[in-house]
Amino acid sequence: MSARVPVTVLTGFLGSGKTTLVNRILSEQHGRRIAVIENEFGEVGVDHELVIGAEEELFETSNGCICCTVRGDLIRILAQLRKRRERFDAILIETTGLADPGPVAQTFFIDEELREHYLLDAIVTLVDARHIEQQLKSSPVALEQIGFADVLLLNKTDLVPATELSQLERRLHAINGTASIVRTHNADVALGRVLNIGAFDLDRALARDEDFLEPARPFEWAGLYTLPAGEYELQQRSSAEPAADAHAHDHGHAHDHEHESNDHGAAHPHGQLRMVDLLLLPSAAEAAPDEPGGGSDASRIDALIEDATRRFDGDAVLLGPHAALPPQVLGRLELDHARHVRLHLPRAGSWVLFCEHAPAEFGGLLPGLRPEHERSFGSHHHDAEIGSIGLTDSRPLDPGKVNDWLSYLLQSRGQDILRMKGVLNFAGEARRYVFHGVHMVFDGRLEREWPPLSARCSRLVFIGRGLERAEFEAGFESCIA
Amino acid sequence: MTAPAGVLRLRARIELADFPVDAAWSADGGALVIAGGEGAVLLADTGAAPAARQIGAHRGGALAVAWQRAGRLFASSGQDGTVLLWDARAPAPRPIHEGKAWCDRLGFADHGRLLAAAAGRVLHVFDAAGATLHALAGHTGVIAALAWRPKSSEIAVAGNGGARLHRLEAEPAVRDYPAAGACLTAGWNADGRLLAAGMQDGRVQLWNVATGQPSQLTGHGGRIIAADWSTNGRYLATAAGEELIAWDFSARGAQGIEPIALGAHSERLSALAFRPGTSMLVSAARDRRLLLWRVASAAQPADAHLLREDCTLLRFSRDGRQLAVGDAAGGLSLYECG
Repeated sequence: MSARVPVTVLTGFLGSGKTTLVNRILSEQHGRRIAVIENEFGEVGVDHELVIGAEEELFETSNGCICCTVRGDLIRILAQLRKRRERFDAILIETTGLADPGPVAQTFFIDEELREHYLLDAIVTLVDARHIEQQLKSSPVALEQIGFADVLLLNKTDLVPATELSQLERRLHAINGTASIVRTHNADVALGRVLNIGAFDLDRALARDEDFLEPARPFEWAGLYTLPAGEYELQQRSSAEPAADAHAHDHGHAHDHEHESNDHGAAHPHGQLRMVDLLLLPSAAEAAPDEPGGGSDASRIDALIEDATRRFDGDAVLLGPHAALPPQVLGRLELDHARHVRLHLPRAGSWVLFCEHAPAEFGGLLPGLRPEHERSFGSHHHDAEIGSIGLTDSRPLDPGKVNDWLSYLLQSRGQDILRMKGVLNFAGEARRYVFHGVHMVFDGRLEREWPPLSARCSRLVFIGRGLERAEFEAGFESCIA
Repeated sequence: MTAPAGVLRLRARIELADFPVDAAWSADGGALVIAGGEGAVLLADTGAAPAARQIGAHRGGALAVAWQRAGRLFASSGQDGTVLLWDARAPAPRPIHEGKAWCDRLGFADHGRLLAAAAGRVLHVFDAAGATLHALAGHTGVIAALAWRPKSSEIAVAGNGGARLHRLEAEPAVRDYPAAGACLTAGWNADGRLLAAGMQDGRVQLWNVATGQPSQLTGHGGRIIAADWSTNGRYLATAAGEELIAWDFSARGAQGIEPIALGAHSERLSALAFRPGTSMLVSAARDRRLLLWRVASAAQPADAHLLREDCTLLRFSRDGRQLAVGDAAGGLSLYECG
């Protein structure tokens, strides 16, 4: 049997640049034979030629189950394309700007005949950097298209200031924690970023599972500081406010202040921030420098991520005026009343400050102090209806229990789950179990063995509508062997 | 020289310049018209020295062919949206319809006076001179299948949402037979009382056409790729995935319909066809096996052949003596059926 032809599904709102991208793929000399199915007009393009194809049509079943919804026109068109002796190297399916790409993707899971000859390669969503905020407000489909994506092409980046782009990327990451984001303008992107990526290839997913399953964190930012013992003002004192606090450290500089004010005014992706949670953790002084990457600034933050994640899930202490936040306590800063709140460092050394939001969003932290290293995490969702939940755990799992849980989850929440991906550590199994799914349709199998010296760690990501972290954590907990 | 009774004998294989997508026998079994996946319309002489020649083309791909049951006219259609009408005595393409949508289903009424062509959601009907009589729109879905009711001027079209019956002569009328889901095949039993549609989700939807009473046959797990009635209307054979079922309608009422599982294929089925005038069924699958079944005593296939490549179509001549088997290697094999 010949190799399956990879299929890329291209989604995105009208005006996001899909047509530009499709035209480039059709007309460029890239040496590959690519069939483009343009559903908006029912056309199929092959080597510059356009053929009118079948009319777009959803096949639903009598039980009304959306997981059984497939695209009848695709089944028909792809069956016909297969009947040409000259085989295609790739198929690109352009969906209508207003369509949920779920049924297109599901068609490749459900239809046996298609599955035999074609392989869903990736869902690529074009995002109009300039208009996406507005589209997200006005249309749930825009949100879904981002939620489904394996690759987000952030297009028209030339029309948007760099600071806004970073915020936009954080926003996109909050909705979809697993998609890679590629900045483009004029949809000018290397074809290798769009075609034959292997996002649905279980084998290839593993090869890059380091970043494919970066779970969403309850914090967006962490900074590493090495400081003497003492107390440090968390927020810049308002210029209108008298410096009445005897403990205030004079680290503020007018220059910094202005700079941060500008950032602050640039955009507010989360609307009006009123509170922000903070956590200070001591960086392990004994971080073994002989460990791979051990002792580096980045690894010192990484080493604390799991601890911080757990602590962020606990209750926060409200920091009143003149309060000082000690280490290892989750504190809640009221931004409107944050003056004179300090960080208490009981001893000199390296500390990592975790913050619920990126400090740039609310005027900065620790004025005058620059972290030696900082790291941003995908922002967790605030107002977004669709978001990602990531779980990481090293305890071995019971395959039967996992099966029960996933079955229950797909039956009860399948409509809300757009995508899921995972690598699981099964008790007594040398190989990794890898899976992915679209809505209630699921594909998984045992793949290559765990590397001999690696930590066997299960990682799962769910992208969906109104997903509650606690529900997924409890479900996962029930799977421990 | 004929094959022994009840077995198939390979007589010839014709190499085609194209991948056979559809084929139709001439009334006398002396010729076959073939639709090619890359666009060729081929005419095969099935006489003593079988051979095929290209007589025309549909740009992008030919999709369907049909031949009058007792005449010399045949038709072809394709991705170019055209319908060509041909006369076997002097085969020259005569366009009788041009459109934008793929024209992927064709059929002559039994009496040969009417030709139907489905393009998207529209059913085009022509007379034997090629004149357009109707362009029937308003179907709930893209037309996936059409079936002329035996010995009548009524045609059923099936698609997403169910079937619709058009009476085209006498007093023209339309009647709908709704179904939740997508119909992919359509076929009448011998007396034209029952219409059967194979569905995307594996069900077989039946309608008593006079009363409108629907019923369902369940048993298949996935999309029904092919269905065919035996000439006497006793059996309906359906294929989905690796499953091949013959449904026995000899008892009255839907409750009495017995499924006979014909389980000898090890891979997904590609095609099936009843031999006219008998309850003998042929089936072909991705396992490249061509099997002949006597459905009445169907524990085992009565005959088996290994095909060179995946089967694309199975077509019996009108008299049931010849079987054409198209394959993905671009060949058409001719079997004699004893």
